[in-house]
Amino acid sequence: MTDKQTYYLTEEGFKSIKQEYETLEKMRASKVKGEVPKIWESEDLNPDFLSFQEDMELLETRLIELENVLKNVKIIKTPSRNEKNNVQLGAIVTLQIDKKEVDELKIVGTLEANPSLGKISNESPVGRALLGHAIGDEVVVSSPIKTIYKIKKIRYS
Amino acid sequence: MVNLVEFFVEIGKLKGMPRKGWVIRDIKNPESIAEHIFRVTIMAWILAAVKKDSLNIEKIIKMALIHDLCEVYAGDTTPYDSILPKDKKKRAALLKTWPRFSIEEREKLAKQKFIKENKALDKVTLSLPIKVRKEIKKLWLDYEKGLSREARFFRQTDRMESLFQAAEYWKKYKKPAQKPLWIWAEELFDDPVLLELSEVLGKRFYK
Repeated sequence: MTDKQTYYLTEEGFKSIKQEYETLEKMRASKVKGEVPKIWESEDLNPDFLSFQEDMELLETRLIELENVLKNVKIIKTPSRNEKNNVQLGAIVTLQIDKKEVDELKIVGTLEANPSLGKISNESPVGRALLGHAIGDEVVVSSPIKTIYKIKKIRYS
Repeated sequence: MVNLVEFFVEIGKLKGMPRKGWVIRDIKNPESIAEHIFRVTIMAWILAAVKKDSLNIEKIIKMALIHDLCEVYAGDTTPYDSILPKDKKKRAALLKTWPRFSIEEREKLAKQKFIKENKALDKVTLSLPIKVRKEIKKLWLDYEKGLSREARFFRQTDRMESLFQAAEYWKKYKKPAQKPLWIWAEELFDDPVLLELSEVLGKRFYK
């Protein structure tokens, strides 16, 4: 199933999606020909690809999903020098939370978001609250329990 | 049929497996993994139906039903597992915070969890006919990696169910500490329906 939403991707995320798409396309072509592609013999092969190898339907579904993303992608540009002082999409923000723990979160589009890996969506309450703020700002998220995020550092990779 | 009987017996074990997140927080009679699966499946169905953009509801319901099957063998994991102190006081203090890790640690933990659960899922579904076994694996990989829109929506719904349960325990026992669970949610939710629901949930339980 596809949709027409815009997908904001970091340069890194875009490259990764594009690479995955190209790899899977090669896999599909090889499967159609009945060949065993060389990439499957590599020890570094991403374990996800093994399931695509086994299941043509999963491969097709993923290819459709990736095609849709690549068609509707907007790459997050590195902000200008002035804008870099504020939190924008793509920023890696060092935060002190409730004056205690320190954490580093990257603000990404919904497709790349994975809080378990420190990547939070720009549309999440924390992501939204941080956008536009500068170093030293305290951002309060209180839905319903108050948490204070103090911005210690902003960088762009 | 013998194989199917074995499979149904194995997954029935989830009815007697308490969710670890509540066990470590000393919740009396914590819900089982099967109880969590029951409500999150209903929630996923209803919330997907409420959403304006069309999602494949059958896929979401199936995904919800199978997403924790691997826990029959892999057990339930929590973000605190690698750092949980044995000392009760230290443990209680830690559980009042949301655990923070470096990017390298996060990647390592996620990889370990994936490998363990992937193996466990293969083991639990081993006795099933190949077609349905493949379907379960496909749905689980989709969920784990957030490959499709349905998977990304369900990953958030899964956390929402835990948030409901936490709020209900809070009302009943005045524990566990709610803040870490809400921090978790506020860094994860970005679906408009789930954001709205969490706001209403907050008003309902913490007014």
